Amino acid sequence: MKKHLKTISSLSIICAVVAILLAATNHITAPIIKEQENEAAFAALTEVFPGGEGFEQIDISEYELPSTITEAYSEKSGGYVFKIETAGYNSGFVIMCGVDANGAVTGATYIASSETLGAEKGYGDTLIGSTKDTIDSVATVSGATKTTGAYKNAAKDAINASVILGGGTVDLRDEAQILNDNLSAALPDGEGKFTSLFITEELDGVSAVYKADNGKGYVFISGENFIATDANGEVISDVDDELKSSISDSAKKIIGSEITEIDISGYENMPKQVAKAYKTTSGNYVFELKAAGFGINGDAYYNPSGEHIIIKVSATAEGKIIMCETLSQKESEGIGDACANPEFYSQFNGKKEANYREIDAISGATLTTNGYKTAVSKVFEAIKILKGDD
Amino acid sequence: MSNKNSNLSILFKGLLLENPVFVLILGTCPTLATSTTVIGAIGMGLAATAVLICSNMVISMLRRFIPDTVRIPCYIVIIAGFVTVVEMFIHAYLPSLYETLGVYLALITVNCIILGRAEMFAGKNTVFKSALDGVGMGLGFTLALLSIATIREVIGAGTFAGIEIPVLVDYKIEFLQKTPGGFLIYGIMIAVVYKLTHGKAPKKTKFGCESCPSFSVCGGVKCDNTVKEAK
Repeated sequence: MKKHLKTISSLSIICAVVAILLAATNHITAPIIKEQENEAAFAALTEVFPGGEGFEQIDISEYELPSTITEAYSEKSGGYVFKIETAGYNSGFVIMCGVDANGAVTGATYIASSETLGAEKGYGDTLIGSTKDTIDSVATVSGATKTTGAYKNAAKDAINASVILGGGTVDLRDEAQILNDNLSAALPDGEGKFTSLFITEELDGVSAVYKADNGKGYVFISGENFIATDANGEVISDVDDELKSSISDSAKKIIGSEITEIDISGYENMPKQVAKAYKTTSGNYVFELKAAGFGINGDAYYNPSGEHIIIKVSATAEGKIIMCETLSQKESEGIGDACANPEFYSQFNGKKEANYREIDAISGATLTTNGYKTAVSKVFEAIKILKGDD
Repeated sequence: MSNKNSNLSILFKGLLLENPVFVLILGTCPTLATSTTVIGAIGMGLAATAVLICSNMVISMLRRFIPDTVRIPCYIVIIAGFVTVVEMFIHAYLPSLYETLGVYLALITVNCIILGRAEMFAGKNTVFKSALDGVGMGLGFTLALLSIATIREVIGAGTFAGIEIPVLVDYKIEFLQKTPGGFLIYGIMIAVVYKLTHGKAPKKTKFGCESCPSFSVCGGVKCDNTVKEAK
């Protein structure tokens, strides 16, 4: 028993003495280590906020900031520095961004990245001085759109966060969320789930139509207005009579429109870009087109990765395009893939044979733009051929 | 006079004749891991030396107090305590070295050289002799790390202590900076030390306890009776 007690007590005493020694050492070294860590953090803060003083960390859990913000520091003059974790081409892109009291970016730099960074390393410098109103005009780096886009979005989040921390309010919803919220507000019965309709009829003043996935109705976007109808096309939104009547007519056209596929194999002169053709009950046409993307020159594939861009176009029998949409594409990332951007393809809406060329080309993607335009131009040719047959 | 000679022998044997790395073949893991740069090697060597001296002295001081049954846990607590102290001081005053050594600094706790010397020497000898043994073995470890690191950094990276060496920097053999290169240099160094100490270093006359390079220190006390019978 005595032996056991000696064993236990000796080990306990040694442990206690070592613990006291460690506590004493920690007492001496902890403040120095803390000071070093502060200096390192301060160096990162002053890099993106040159001349900044008196940085203090803010408890961000008290605020509703953009989800990418992981740390925030206030600066004496009223500015802020944010640590932002976002995703570029891969996840785990960590950016420090400073914003001054006027809401302008003072600096942005990445501090950790799983990306293979090249020219975009110094991209943060191009964002210096940008504000909420001007940041969108800063161009992304061609060939590194995702990474530099992530950089830019991180700086936007930092600007928004600085507004929120300063007591202001910011709409943190993205465009898709705003659209969905507007659709839901117009048609609450749609339960927040809507699908964009491909318009095959000429509608007066309507830019887009959404159908509730549960079949409870439609929402027509006319200018700034979101006007809902029930499943039968009766307008349920509170709008003036003129608009009500116009939307009601549009709804009837949409609901009553049916399309039938035309067998185009019998048309020898049908352009090769026309893959499929349909006719609506009102006499309009819908085409599925195969446009030569980058890597395809005429019929020849000079790049093995060349793929066709698939386009859907609806047009009146008189040759006026109602709606144009890119269904699929495999163009170069950050360059030719802009052909899938509604801003590009919606330019063809309302165009005729005389003016379809008057659209803004995709920057740096001449072959893609030309292939696309050529395919769209075949719509007018195809209509003439099909009409001639009628 | 003979006592003085004995003390000097304790101090110097660790440098070459019983060098912990090249002769006793202890501490291979930190040796290979921290011998890519001269600065890292010196930092690791000196940190281990400081721990070795302190732990040897304290263990020797407490050798009559520590019960035999719990001696290894006691040694580990003492060594870990000193390692943590050294780690805290390096973190506070030499942050760049702290970054360089990384996890290997904390792993000094389980370095066989330190636990080996505690068990084989400090637990049986006076405080003064244990301190001398700590200095000798620590410097021997540092010297071994430094010699391997010098070869690996100069030929493998074309630099010495971070300073670029003209010409060599253009013809560096990067393989030596990798682990297999470390093993290669380690093996060559063992061979060189064996050649240098031929006839003087502990000879492997028999397999078993007697062939152990540490036999001269422990005298086979902890080993089985066959050794004693052989004696």
